[in-house]
Amino acid sequence: MIEYVVRRILSGLIVLFLLSTFLFFVMRAVPGDVVRLQLADAGSVTDERMAEMEAELGLDRPALAQYASWLGGVVRGDLGDSLWERRPVTEMIIERFPVTFELAFLSIVVAVGLGIVTGVASAIRRGTVTDDGLRVASVLGLSVPNFFLALLMITSASVWFNWVAPLSYRRPWDDLGVNLQQMAMPAIALGVSVAAAIARLTRSSMLEVLGSDYIRTVRAKGASSRLVNYKHALRNSLIPILTLIGLQFGALLGGTVILESIFGLPGVGSMIFRAVEQRDYPVIQAGAILYGTIFVAVNIAVDITYGLIDPRIRRS
Amino acid sequence: MHDAVLRIAGLRTQFRTRQGTVDAVSDVSFDVRRGETVALVGESGSGKSVTALSVLQLLESTGSIADGSIVFDGRELVGLSEKEMRDVRGREISMIFQDPSTCLDPVFTIEDQLVEALTIHGTARSDARGRALELLRMVRMPDPETRLNAYPHELSGGQRQRAMIATALALDPQLIIADEPTTALDVTVQAQILDLIRTLQAETGAAVLFVTHDLGVVAEIADRVVVMYAGRVVEQGSVFQVLKDPRNPYTAALLASMPGAVAGTGQRLTPIEGVVPSLLDMPSGCRFAPRCPHAWDRCHEADPPLAAFDLNRESRCWLEVDGAVDGVGTAEVVG
Repeated sequence: MIEYVVRRILSGLIVLFLLSTFLFFVMRAVPGDVVRLQLADAGSVTDERMAEMEAELGLDRPALAQYASWLGGVVRGDLGDSLWERRPVTEMIIERFPVTFELAFLSIVVAVGLGIVTGVASAIRRGTVTDDGLRVASVLGLSVPNFFLALLMITSASVWFNWVAPLSYRRPWDDLGVNLQQMAMPAIALGVSVAAAIARLTRSSMLEVLGSDYIRTVRAKGASSRLVNYKHALRNSLIPILTLIGLQFGALLGGTVILESIFGLPGVGSMIFRAVEQRDYPVIQAGAILYGTIFVAVNIAVDITYGLIDPRIRRS
Repeated sequence: MHDAVLRIAGLRTQFRTRQGTVDAVSDVSFDVRRGETVALVGESGSGKSVTALSVLQLLESTGSIADGSIVFDGRELVGLSEKEMRDVRGREISMIFQDPSTCLDPVFTIEDQLVEALTIHGTARSDARGRALELLRMVRMPDPETRLNAYPHELSGGQRQRAMIATALALDPQLIIADEPTTALDVTVQAQILDLIRTLQAETGAAVLFVTHDLGVVAEIADRVVVMYAGRVVEQGSVFQVLKDPRNPYTAALLASMPGAVAGTGQRLTPIEGVVPSLLDMPSGCRFAPRCPHAWDRCHEADPPLAAFDLNRESRCWLEVDGAVDGVGTAEVVG
C-alpha cells in the first residue's frame, strides 16, 4: 500500500512537471504582452520604457533561460513574484487559498449529499414517477453550465426576491453568517452538475448491486428494505461513485476560476482568472501547479479510501 | 393425512416480460413433511427455482404469485404482507443458494453476516457473537475462530458454502430450502457439502427442500422426489420408486441421459432430443409431447392431468390416464 502511494506520488510529480512546462511555453506563445498592458495602464507606451520594463521583469532573457530559473525556484519552493503586484506568488496564494478551499469544500458537500440521496432515492423507487422526475432533473443539472446557473441564480434572486449577497467578502471566522450568504450560491452552482453526475452513477450502481445474489441472501435472512438498501447495497455501490468524485473534483476546481470571478470572491480561482487576462505568467503557473497538486492528492486519497470500503482491495 | 410442514397447492407464478405476462410455473402442488428431504428436480427453465423462490416470496420485482396456496406449518403464506414475510424468512424458513462466491456480501466479515441473521430476528448482539462461533463449529468449518473474522474472498468455495449453511441454520428453522447448493462446487467438495447437509438435517430435524438438476444427488440425499418440466410437476413419488421405476416418459428420459446409468458399460448416453419449450410458446397438448418418444395424437391435442396412483405417486401422462400401467416404453402402448 505504502509502495503504491509512493508510486502514485511520483507519477503525480511527473504530471505536474509536464503540466507546468507546457503551460510555461504556451502562455508565452499566446498573443498579448504583459509589459504593454502594464504601460498602457500607466498611460505611456514607448519603446524605451518597454525595454526598460522587460529588463526589470527579467522578460528580456531567452525563454529557456527564464524557464530554467523559474523551475529552479519552484524546486526550492519559490514560485516567483507576480509581474503586476511585484510580490511573492506564494504569499498571494496563502492569502487567497482559504476562500477557494471553503468553496470547493461546500460544493463537494452539496454534490455528494445531493447526488447520493437523489441516486439512492431514484434506484429504490425504480420505474416510479419519482424516479422519472429525478432522472430528468439530473440530466438537466448535467446540461446546464455552472456559470450560466450562477448568473440565473444571481438575477432571479435580485429580480424576484430583491436580494443580493453582501458585496464585500467576509471570512468565515470574522462573520460566518455573511460568509455563508456569500458562499451559498457559488457552492450550489458549482455543486449541482457534479451532484447530477453522481446521482446518475449512484442510481445505476445501486441497481446493479440490488440485483446481485448477496442482496437476495440478505433478503432471505428477513432483512428490512432499509437494512438491504443502506447497509448492504449502498456500501457495495460506493466504489465507482468514489472514483467519479475524484475525477469530478477536477471539473469543480476549474469551476472555481469562473465562479469566484462571477461572485467576486477573492480566492485562488479569481486570481488565476485575472492573471490570465493580465498575462501574469508566474501567477498562472503557480495556480496550475496548485490545482494540479490538489487534483492528484484527491485522487490518491480516493484510492486509499477504496481499501476502507472494500476488503478485497485492502488486502491485495 | 401425513404431517406436512409445507403444502404447496395449485401454485402459479407469473413474470411480466416485454412480450406480456407468462406463467413460469403453473399448477404446482406438492408437500414437504416434517423432517424429510424432498428433491425438486428438473432441467434449467423447468421452474424449480421459481417454485423455491415463490415459497419465500423472493422473486424478482417482475415476478409474482398469481394463484394457489402455500401453507407453511398451518399458516397461509400467499397474501401475507412483506413485513409478515420478513418474520418468516430466515427464522422459520431459510434458504441456501447456488453460488456461495456471489451469495455472501463481499464487504462484510463472516461474523458480521452470521450475527446479522440472528439480530434481524431479535437476538441480542452479545449473544449472537457466541452463537456465530457455535454455528461455524456445527458446519465443521476448519479453524472457526479465525474464519469468523475472514471476508468471503478469503475462504474457499466449500468454506463459503459452509458459512452459508451456518447462516441458514442460525435460528433453527423448520424448513431449509437449498437451491442447487452443490452445483457451483468442485466434485470432491460437493460430496462433503451433501454429507454435511444430511448430517445437519439428522441433527436438527429440519425439513429440506432440495432443488437440483442432478439425479445422482437426488439418490444420495432425498426421501422423495418431485420432477418438474416446463413449469409443471410431471412426476412425484419416493426416491426409490421414481429412480427405479419412472412412470413418466420425461423422468425416464432424464434418467437415461445420466452418465451414472451407463457408466463403465461403454454404452452411449441417450440425450433428450430438442429443447425445453419457451414459456411464451407452449405446446397446446402435453408440454413434453414434442420431445417424447412415446407421444401419439392425443398427446398433441390435450394436456394430460396429474394422475395419482399407488399411494403418494403421481405422474402427468396420458399413458397413466388410459390405464396403461405397464410402464413406459412398451411397444403395445405406443403403438
